[in-house]
This record gives sequence, structure tokens and C-alpha cells, in this order.
Amino acid sequence: MAKIEDLKEEAKKLLREGKVKYIIGYGVGGNGWTAVPVFIKKPEDVDGLIWDPTCVHNLARFLVDEKRRKAKEKQPDARPVGIIVKGCDSRAIVVLLQEKFIDRKDVYILGVSCEKAGVVDDKKLAKKLKEKKPKKIELGDNGQFIIDTDGGKVEVPVEELLAERCLECKANFPVIYDVLSGDKTKRAVDKPFGSLEKIEALSSEERWNFWRAELEKCIRCYACRSVCPMCYCDECVVDSINMAVAADTSAEEKAQKIKWIQRSSESSENFVYHLVRAIHLGGRCIDCGECERACPLDIPLRFLNKKLEKEAKDLFGYEAGFDSSLPALISCFKDDDPEDFIR
Amino acid sequence: MEKILSKKALPQWVKTLTSYKVYFPKKDKDERWNYAEIDHEDINLAFLNTTLPPKKLLFPQKELFLEFAKTADGDQETLEVKEILPDEQPVVIFGVRPCDARAAWLLDKVFAGEFTDPYYWKRRNQTTLVGLACDTPPWENCFCLSVEGSPCSEEGLDILLTDLGDKYFVKSLTEKGATLIRAGKKVFQNPKPEDQKRAQAVQAESVKKIKRQLKDARAISSTLKRMFDSPLWDEESMSCIRCGICTYLCPSCHCFDINDELESASPLKGNRVRTWDTCQFPDFTMHSSGHNPRPEKASRLRQRLCHKFQYFVETYDKFQCVGCGRCISLCPVGIDIIKVLEKVNQHGT
Amino acid sequence: MEHNLYLPKLAEITGIKEEVAGARAIKTFRTAFTNGTRLEYRCGQCAMLSVFGKGEAMISISSSPLVKDYLQFSILKMGRVTTALHELEVGDIIGIRGPYGNGFPIENWKGKNIIFIGGGIGLAPIWSVLQTTLLQKNEYGELTLIYGARTSNDLVFRQECEDLKRKMSVFLSIDVAEPGWNEFVGFVPQNVLDKKPSPSNTVAITCGPPIMIKFVIKALKDLHFEDGQIYTTVENKMKCGIGKCGRCNIGPHYVCKDGPVYSWAELKNLPQEY
Repeated sequence: MAKIEDLKEEAKKLLREGKVKYIIGYGVGGNGWTAVPVFIKKPEDVDGLIWDPTCVHNLARFLVDEKRRKAKEKQPDARPVGIIVKGCDSRAIVVLLQEKFIDRKDVYILGVSCEKAGVVDDKKLAKKLKEKKPKKIELGDNGQFIIDTDGGKVEVPVEELLAERCLECKANFPVIYDVLSGDKTKRAVDKPFGSLEKIEALSSEERWNFWRAELEKCIRCYACRSVCPMCYCDECVVDSINMAVAADTSAEEKAQKIKWIQRSSESSENFVYHLVRAIHLGGRCIDCGECERACPLDIPLRFLNKKLEKEAKDLFGYEAGFDSSLPALISCFKDDDPEDFIR
Repeated sequence: MEKILSKKALPQWVKTLTSYKVYFPKKDKDERWNYAEIDHEDINLAFLNTTLPPKKLLFPQKELFLEFAKTADGDQETLEVKEILPDEQPVVIFGVRPCDARAAWLLDKVFAGEFTDPYYWKRRNQTTLVGLACDTPPWENCFCLSVEGSPCSEEGLDILLTDLGDKYFVKSLTEKGATLIRAGKKVFQNPKPEDQKRAQAVQAESVKKIKRQLKDARAISSTLKRMFDSPLWDEESMSCIRCGICTYLCPSCHCFDINDELESASPLKGNRVRTWDTCQFPDFTMHSSGHNPRPEKASRLRQRLCHKFQYFVETYDKFQCVGCGRCISLCPVGIDIIKVLEKVNQHGT
Repeated sequence: MEHNLYLPKLAEITGIKEEVAGARAIKTFRTAFTNGTRLEYRCGQCAMLSVFGKGEAMISISSSPLVKDYLQFSILKMGRVTTALHELEVGDIIGIRGPYGNGFPIENWKGKNIIFIGGGIGLAPIWSVLQTTLLQKNEYGELTLIYGARTSNDLVFRQECEDLKRKMSVFLSIDVAEPGWNEFVGFVPQNVLDKKPSPSNTVAITCGPPIMIKFVIKALKDLHFEDGQIYTTVENKMKCGIGKCGRCNIGPHYVCKDGPVYSWAELKNLPQEY
């Protein structure tokens, strides 16, 4: 079983020897039990690191911030940052390496294996516990979650509480790492892309109505885009919240910037935003599920990205984030790529 | 005026409100609540709190300001600009928590003053807010008491309902509230003295149940002034992903953008539209020249907290935060403003 | 019902003068309302100019309130709206709403000497004060203009400045020497230190790029000007113009409503985020 203690020693050593600038990991959040991202700079703070089934965040997202920070510094510190990753998060790092967004020497990867479990979906947990308030969750030795509540300990089989993405997970353990805690055991997945079946069974009119109802709710808070490690563009082509202008950008250039969609959350604009984002993530999304988790209005965004993941597999036999030596899917072609959709 | 309304009679009262558009909290498939126009079946107030606060009905995400159009008459081209005010439509929102109503009361101050905002006030004046006092805290992170609110406060509300088990204690606070109660007519009964005592007891109990606390909030106001250049902001904002959740879901945040949205470029036709905006987006303060007064996440986190707990206090002598706890519960990376402000207090002293 | 403050009034462009050509183009526009009304305003106040279909921009009114025939704006081509304005012609219709902001407290300056210190397009906001005090010259003390730009082609109101030399002291400067330039060569703050204005019974107004303002204020402090004797206008991104949208917020102030005119005594107490 993966234990944070295995990694704490390594983390302390890295910081003491100054081999990394800081370590991105999980710590206990404001409510006392769920994990939040933490940035450890001093060896004595390493004891604050935790590893439990509430560690949902994809910490690879903060490698984007690190790159932006370095770009602003006159004499950037070239040392790597340490980062704790689950299997899915490590695939995000691989995609960033494939796209040459970061170099391998920029990260020191401390991997943890989910083995046959994964992370807990907080809505499933709330439904299961009903009125009881959880205080801590641990993975037991027998494929169950042990939850400490204000009404005593509750044991639940992992399948009942795991996030949907964990039930379809292809990478229970990191595919790239410098240090690994836990065993390289996989969960058996009977139906990869099983979550898409319900939607694929709908007629195209039913699907249109489904998505129209869901995307009408969107308030364009952009949490889905902000939390995704692969949405690292300084200026998003669909609707940017960041102008990449400098003092010498000409007025004409600024005046001629195309606004593809309006800021107002009309159905039409929301559709374009979400569909363009899904297409730009085709062959890049590794299904960390953060976009759906972050959405405050529970829009089922995973379906969009999962469908494109399935297309990438069916059409091109490609799975994102496993081999950092492969070029990104959309930046290469093979002579035997399917062409039946070209008429 | 004070009345009693049995819970079973609530749908009957709503039936009498034919001239109003009625909103109730509605549950979605994932057990989250949001205000929606009701269709008479599932009327009940057994909810905690909505994800989107009622501000979305008073200050919607998209508000049309005016429309412009160029019409050609032979060689002559005339430009016409017409104001578009919100439709004339009385609205009732049921189930407004006291914190969200207090936020509406704070927004009233912002949109009034030296210049009044006609769009906000058209909606506000035709909206009646029926509040529901919290017998238990709706979110784990509620801290209304620390910012001079309470689970049974009355600011911003037209009617306050207190849950007495099988009935509500109904208190009318304004003329709009009285009108709504009169529309219900026979549905109400007069309260007995023990009802009033029960209501007071329930409210007193609810105050004790608020778990989270922000100590010495007023002292934090003056400490923040000294902390402008502190490295604390950089540390606390490291995990911020600069989305808009904290500000869009905040019941008292009001920053907005104004843009021209074209329907056609030639002939020119379009609308000037107001949309929600947030100080957390990098280009919120960016000048056309590229100069940005707040280029770092640290400065933007500092702006949000200082605006809520220092600048607003300096202008209106009230906290702009109402302690609803949404930003803490829904921040994707768990940034907790109570914890950040506690650190401010520690550092400052 | 009260007039809707977000609704612009239509105005026709009655005159366009090209002050500066090229990449950092500046044009001066004269406008008049199509319904014949006039705007009552104070020196230093601004108005939101609308190009329908593109957006709005907050521009300071550079003509004096004593001039009734037109409203004048000098606009630097910088982004979407200003580029659209530069493409307009005489006779085109724009929208104007305002006036916004607090204006210069010139009533308090009667009898005092006034020094106008401008850089580049920064001369435009203080031009209205300069013109007003010139028209009421006997009510004020000595008037001085210290104005500079990058090159001689970037100076605005070039001809007007030459004409002014007959009525008051005018000291021009450019950053780098050019053939044919006889006046000061160097940055505007250096020109201020060179001319050594006396702080006695004097008010100094400065406007220009943020870095210039910073060093001009420092120069004036070195010359023993008090904080309350130094005035400037702050620029910030603005959208609503009436202190509601939050964009121009600095501390408890909204620059569009509580500013843009600030004395250094007031400005130094605000968070330095502009």
C-alpha cells in the first residue's frame, strides 16, 4: 500500500540538499480532513504532507504556474520542483513533456500508487453517510474505505465511493516517476469508456436536448479551464481572460483581435466555448476529472472529453500520456491513418 | 405584521400569487439546489442553500443595456440607440437565506448612492424576497455571526419565515411583504403568544449552532491596511488557479464588464450588454497599453480580501462579506478565507 | 424617471486634427451633441466615448468648460475603441456620456501660480485647466508650462504651444537630441529640475506616463513642494464610469468617481496599485 511516509524521507532530503525549489503535494485543508494542494519549501514542513483518498487534485496544474513564474524572472532558478503525483496526474506530466511545455529536468516526480482504489467522490460520500459528518478517510487493507465519522467508524467497499473516472482508470500507478510508493497493481476495468454508454445510446435529438439543458447552466466561471493542466495557453483562443500584449504590441493588432464568442452566458456562446475546449483537448485529455469536479453547477464535462478520448483510441489507436517520446497526436500523422471521413 | 402559515398551506399561498413570477430553490440530480421558476408541484423549503445566490435574479449574468442599429434610407444612414430596461414583471423569490438577503442589502448600497443603476433597481423594486431563517447552518463553512450577520437577520428581506416544525412564523418587514401576505388572505392564521416564544427560541438556538468563526473581524480591517506589502499574499495565493468561482458565487460581489455584442456588422446592429466579471481574472485591470496594476495572483487575492474586509468597511462601515461560506466550500483548491484572515491577524500583531 | 447614466447621447464629430502620425498616432476630435445641448463640466473631468459596435473608452475632456461650441478630446490610438475612433471622419456619429470624475479644484487656486507639467498625451487632461486659467488670467498668478515627449513629432498641440509662448512661460523638451531642436533635451522630470520652479504660493499639476509622474513628483519634492501642492490625474481601466463595475477600484476609491484628480497628499495614502 502506498504510504506517504515512504516519500517524506525523500522529500526532506531533497529540500535539505537544495535539490528542488519546493515540493507540490497534498496537505490538510481548512476543514481539518480533506486534502488541499500545498507548497513545501522547508524540510521541517514536510511532515504536513498527507496521502489519502481525498487527494483528488491534479497537481501537474501547478507546473504551468511554475513555468509562468520562471518566465517573468530575470535570472530564473533552474532547479526542478518536486511534485507528488497519482497515476492520472503523471500522465498529465507526460503530455506536457510530449508537447515540450516542460523538460524532464524541470520536475522531480514522487509517485504514489492508487493500487486497486483511487479517490473518493464527495457527492457519493455525502449520499452514503447521510447525516453523519466525516472526519477522516483511509484506505483499508481489504479493498474498503474506512471512514471516521462523528457517529463512529464506517466501512464501505471502494467501488461504492470511487470517483467515476477511477472506475475506468487505465493508470493506477504513475507511468513516470523518480521515486514510487506503493505497488504497481492495476484495477481490472471491464468496460473502458463504459460511462459513455448511456449518452451514446441517446438519439442525436435527445443528445442535443441533454447538452442544451446542461450547458444553459454554465456561468462561464472558467473553473474547468483554469483547473486543467493542459489548458496552458496564455491567451485562450475561445474567450481569453488574459491579454498577451506588451508595450510594443501595435494598436491595430489589438483592435483586430477576433472575439469568437461573447462574454454573456447564452446557450450558443456556452456551446462554442465547451466544444472548442473539448476539441482542443482531443488526444491530450488524460481524464483526471478535475474539470467536472471543479464545476459548481455539476455540468457533466467528462462526457465531452471522454468521447474525444474514445475517438482518439478508435481512430488512431492513441492513448494520451503514456509515452513521453511519442509526438502529440494532432502534431503528427501516419500513412495508414483513417481517411474515410474525407469525402 | 406577524402571521402563522402551516407548511401544508404554503402551496396554497403560492397559488394566489398569479401576477408574480415565483422562484423556489429546486434540487438537481446531484442534490444541489438552485433557484428556478416553479411549476407548482414540488414546492417545499426543505433545503440548505443554493449554489448560485439570489443575486443572479437581481443582477443577472447577462443584462441588456441598450440596442443600437444603423438604418439606411437611400444614401442617408441613421444611427438609432435605444435603452432596454428589464421587463415589467413582479417577482417573488422564496427561501432566501438571511446572509444572501443581507448581501442584497449591501448591493443596494453599491447600486444606489451618487449614481443609481436603473437596471438593478428596476429588478430590485419589483422583487419581493421571502427569507427563511436558518435553524441549522446551511453550509459547513457558514460564519455569518463573525461579519455582523446572523442566521435570522432581517436586512434586505421583505418577509422572514422561521421554521417551527409543522408551520412557519411569518414576519412581514416591508410594504412589499405585507402586500404578498394580503394576497394569501385566508391561508394565514394569527400567531399565539407561544408561537412568538417558539420562534424566538428557535432563532436563539440557531445562533449557537454556527460553528466557524472569524475572530476580531473589525481588528482585521485595520491590520489589512498595514499588510499591503506582506509576503503572506504570495504564499496564500500559490494554489489559486484564477477561476471565477469565489466571486461569481459570492452573493455580494458585483464587478461587471460592459461589451458591445454585434448581431450584424453591416448594417450595424447589436446590443450593449453587461456581464459578470471578476477581479480574479488577470486582464480585469489590464490597460490597453499592457500595463497591469495587478499582474500577480497575490495582488488579486489581496484585492478581494481587502475589498471585502477593509475598503468596503472604510466606505460603508460594513463588511461586504456576509459569511455564507460558498467561496470556501466551492473553491477547487480549498483556499479558505477564514484561515487566510486569521494568518493576517497573527502576522499583523 | 432619472436619466439612465449608461445611455450615451449622440454627438457628431465636427473636426479632426492629426496631432501625431505613425505608430503612436494622436488625433484631436471636436464634437457637438446632435440635439444641440451642451455639457456642463469641470476641468479634469472625463467622458465615456462610444463607438457603437466596438465599445467605450474613458477620455478626458481637453477643452475648457468656458468654451461652449465644442467638446474636445485628444485620443492616442492604443486599442480596439481608440483605433475605431481614429478611423472615423468628420460627420460620423459617436456616443458621449458624462461628465465623470471629480475635476481639478481650480477655485482653490485663485491668486496662486500654476505650473503645468505634461508628458506625451498627458498634456490633454491638463489642457482644459490651462485654457481655463488663461481665459481668466487676472484671477491667477503666474502660469508656466513644462511639456515634453519622446520626439518632436510626438508633441501634441504643437502649434498651440508655440502660440502660448506669447502669453506665458513655456518650456518644451524631447528625450533625445534632434537637428533643429533648440530647447531642453532630456526627460520631463529633468527639465523640471533644470527650471527650478519655486514652491512659494504655487500649485503644480502633472500628467503623463506613470513612470514620468513618479519622477516628476520626486523632483517637485526635491524642490520643496508640499504634498498638497502637487496634483495629478490617475489613469485606470474603466468600464462603467460611475463607480459600480469595480475595475478602477483602488483602496476605498473608484478612480472614475472619486478621482481621477488626486493631490499627492491623498494619493500617497491609497494602495499604490495603478
